[in-house]
Amino acid sequence: MLMIKRLMTKYIPAMLTCEEIDDFLYDFHEGQLSYTEHLTFKLHLRLCKECKDYVRKYKNTIRMSQAGFTKADPAEKVPEELIEVILKSRTKK
Amino acid sequence: MKESPSTISEQDKENQLIDKLIGNDDLAYEILVRQYSARMYAVARRFFTSDDDAQEALQKAFIQVFKKISTFNKDSSLMTWLHRITVNEALMIIRQKKRQNTLPLESFTQHYNEHGERTVFSDNSEQSLMEGLGHNIEALFEKNETKFSLNELIYQLPEKYCNVLLLRDIQEISTKETANIIGISEASVKTQLHRARLLLKSILEQKDKDRLEDNWKVN
Ligand SMILES: [Zn+2]
Repeated sequence: MLMIKRLMTKYIPAMLTCEEIDDFLYDFHEGQLSYTEHLTFKLHLRLCKECKDYVRKYKNTIRMSQAGFTKADPAEKVPEELIEVILKSRTKK
Repeated sequence: MKESPSTISEQDKENQLIDKLIGNDDLAYEILVRQYSARMYAVARRFFTSDDDAQEALQKAFIQVFKKISTFNKDSSLMTWLHRITVNEALMIIRQKKRQNTLPLESFTQHYNEHGERTVFSDNSEQSLMEGLGHNIEALFEKNETKFSLNELIYQLPEKYCNVLLLRDIQEISTKETANIIGISEASVKTQLHRARLLLKSILEQKDKDRLEDNWKVN
């Protein structure tokens, strides 16, 4: 696998190195890569198990951190007691 | 640019409300709280797992709103302003949690690891910070007897990482607005967010490894 990777990097000028994958990862996740960058990024992941795994874990980390917090429901009402407390706090000196 | 009549009247209504608020009109305050608190509450809720924390954030946000309403710039949107204040109050509560915690990750990584080796990291050497964390994280979870919770872990990240991660990944606030709220450049938001994710990833991987090793011990 490493052999193929080295050959690819050498003979396909657009082929990204593993280090470059790291540089492009943020923008890849944001959907900010150009069409060609996106394609070369995906090509590298197809050929490189390590980077594929790395990118997967990066995405999982984000997903997990999101899951660690309460899903906010905009329709949820603020408890009436809290509204009263807030309104009172303005006039209270 | 042509504006539709409805948006103009909304804007006018908002301006009238603000004028009344500045004029200390009780009814206007009641309208403000009733009309905007639900959206602010939703923002606060997403920062925490407990209702108490979210309610505290909302209450503190309104205290700031009451204090600062006379400085509100009518060129900006009222909701954007209220949103920023809510975010700032929530971050303040999280900052206090950081201090209360017996195991601040930051100080943990700056002095010694569990082998007693000195591990000094400057602010710019995130790479070594991450490497150092690998050694320290085991001890962190060993000492922390409470159930592992991801939000607590994120609160314990160094503040600059914690804040961008909460604002970008959890609140899903744009890079531009995050930069405005924290007071750093958009480029810094991007690099810090990327580093925050990588740091969290390495912590979670370490945690995963520890758990697997524990399973080996049991079996
Ligand atoms: Zn690779």
